[in-house]
Amino acid sequence: MLKLFKKIIFVFLVLPFWQINIANAELRIDGFVQGLFGANVNDNNPTYSDFTASETRLQVRMENFGDRSEFFSRLDFVYDGVDREEYAWELREAYLKLKIGEKIDLKAGRQILTWGTGDLIFINDVFSKDYRSFFIGRDDQYLKAPQNALRLEYYNNLGSFTFVISPTFESNRLPRGDRLSYYQPGVGIVGIELGEMYYFHPPLPEKKIENTEIAFRFQKQTGNFKSALYFYRGFYKNPLGYDPVRLVPIFPKINIYGASARGSIWGGVLWMETGYLDSREDKDGSNPLMPNSSVKGLFGFEKQIATDFTANFQWQFDYMLDYDIFEEQQESGIYYRDEIRHLFTSRLTKLIKSETVKLSGFIFYSPSEEDLYFRFSTDYKYTDEISLSFGGNIFAGKQINSEFGQFQLNDNLYLKMTYGF
Amino acid sequence: MKRVIFVTQLLIISMLAVSVLAQDATELMKKSHLAYYYAANDGLAEVNMTLIDKNGKERIRTFTMLRLDITDGGEQNYYTYFKKPSDVSRLTFMVHKSPDSNDKRWIYVPAVDLVKPISADDKNSSFVGSDFSYEDVSGRHWSEDNHTLKVDGTLDEKPVYIIESIPKEAYKGFSRKVTYLDKKTLLPLKEEYFDAKDNNIRNFTALKIEEINGNPTITIRSMENLKKHSKTIVEFTSIKYDIGITKDIFTERYLKNPPRNYIK
Repeated sequence: MLKLFKKIIFVFLVLPFWQINIANAELRIDGFVQGLFGANVNDNNPTYSDFTASETRLQVRMENFGDRSEFFSRLDFVYDGVDREEYAWELREAYLKLKIGEKIDLKAGRQILTWGTGDLIFINDVFSKDYRSFFIGRDDQYLKAPQNALRLEYYNNLGSFTFVISPTFESNRLPRGDRLSYYQPGVGIVGIELGEMYYFHPPLPEKKIENTEIAFRFQKQTGNFKSALYFYRGFYKNPLGYDPVRLVPIFPKINIYGASARGSIWGGVLWMETGYLDSREDKDGSNPLMPNSSVKGLFGFEKQIATDFTANFQWQFDYMLDYDIFEEQQESGIYYRDEIRHLFTSRLTKLIKSETVKLSGFIFYSPSEEDLYFRFSTDYKYTDEISLSFGGNIFAGKQINSEFGQFQLNDNLYLKMTYGF
Repeated sequence: MKRVIFVTQLLIISMLAVSVLAQDATELMKKSHLAYYYAANDGLAEVNMTLIDKNGKERIRTFTMLRLDITDGGEQNYYTYFKKPSDVSRLTFMVHKSPDSNDKRWIYVPAVDLVKPISADDKNSSFVGSDFSYEDVSGRHWSEDNHTLKVDGTLDEKPVYIIESIPKEAYKGFSRKVTYLDKKTLLPLKEEYFDAKDNNIRNFTALKIEEINGNPTITIRSMENLKKHSKTIVEFTSIKYDIGITKDIFTERYLKNPPRNYIK
């Protein structure tokens, strides 16, 4: 561990200077200091603490570049006052970007990756998400968790070809019971009130070369629309499988084949995306411990409906294959999903006071699961440097084991202050 | 009978005179538009925007701006790389402007590696919270208004054409605009915007004009919002023209990877 730490520090400290030599440019540093305080509004949430957040964060960004290369790093130092009362740091990004010839861009190192068209819902965006941050009011940037990867983009007359290789698997960061409760099969909604018994920490796939995550995208502009094809070979980012030997949830193998299109039309932006999720460890749906394959699709439209007021709407469906087999495998008396799971979302954003105040709301609602998740915030930019935010996360559901219903005891409100430098 | 012919002649002559004046005014506004928004084939500038609210509180936006004209007076591409404030640093923004249809706009948020097209229905909305609208930044096409040359005059001792413009179709940005065009450079020295009740709502002022590579350029300009009592002052520095910016810069590739030979 110490060795790794030293190595990373070395890269963080030395790379910029190495860059200076080849780039002959100045080193730029900026970032922010942020306080985030949040609390649960339900008394009966079985989590370790009533606080969802009590943290002070310093983010330092360093940048250095020449005409053809660029180094960038983003390092977070956090004092976490909720459950650990200790300092933590995370290297969120540290990468080198190079332009090779005229047609290739290379980005190597720890980085945030995004593609696909959905607004906060994802089909082909297989890069890891951090729901532990997303559900407690951290900035939007923290929904995306970083991964160690090599991204190569090749451009020619046909379009752009992007290859992303991540040597070690990065999972989604899900609620694990300490400050956000979740559903544990056979038990119910759990936290870690009983020591660390329900601390959710599923084992990751083995660090082997054949477990390397591979993602590919081909993208092309056709008229007003940008269309894309995707492929991913790796693992489900959520531990949807179960290992009967070790008795732990696991991340099953998956391939995803997908496509999307997005463009300007009808005075707004329209997008659509689809994907076939091929569950490689349960091809015919017969294994009750592994997820079935499925087909997902989404449609979305966004429009500015009044001055500084934007609204969007999305519909996503998730169609499970071999549902009849799945249905036979379910225990009676326990809720299980429909064959087609519909999800509707809507985002409203209003800017007032010369864009210094932003009011926003985002709702996820599934009529199939009968659950919802609503997030809202008011952000006020007091000066260029100082901003204040107040917001909340509300969950509701008829069932305790549906996608959002399992988080129904986690309703929380938060306050955030940021000083940017 | 003679009287009728005389009146008809008078009418025809006066109509012709009006149309000649209108043509002159339209021609002047076209030339002004080209001088102001389409100087040279491409351009690069460091921009410093100061937003001053009614209490005198200041906010600063700094960015680098690239422009490429596809056709003079027609399609144009813009690229903006934000430097300050801290919360938007490294954010990039791109516009494909086309006078015949809605502009296309994209934003790239580096913290989440997100490229997003943004709906660009409202050219009137504010540019980054300033008193300038998107249209003020990229220009309102001269053919959208009827122009009349009111009178020649002087403004701060400079000889000017004073032109009144009225939108051909009802427009929420203004109902009437008076432009004071510098006779020498044809750049607008001042623009006064009026609403439907003929209240003066906004005033544009060219505070400093410099000649850069043979192109007269407004290097400091301001926009005052008389309703909100706010004001924005924009200063252009390190201006360069005809540096050979190519069309491929205005694509997703460079939106995600700022062209560092231009953007420092």
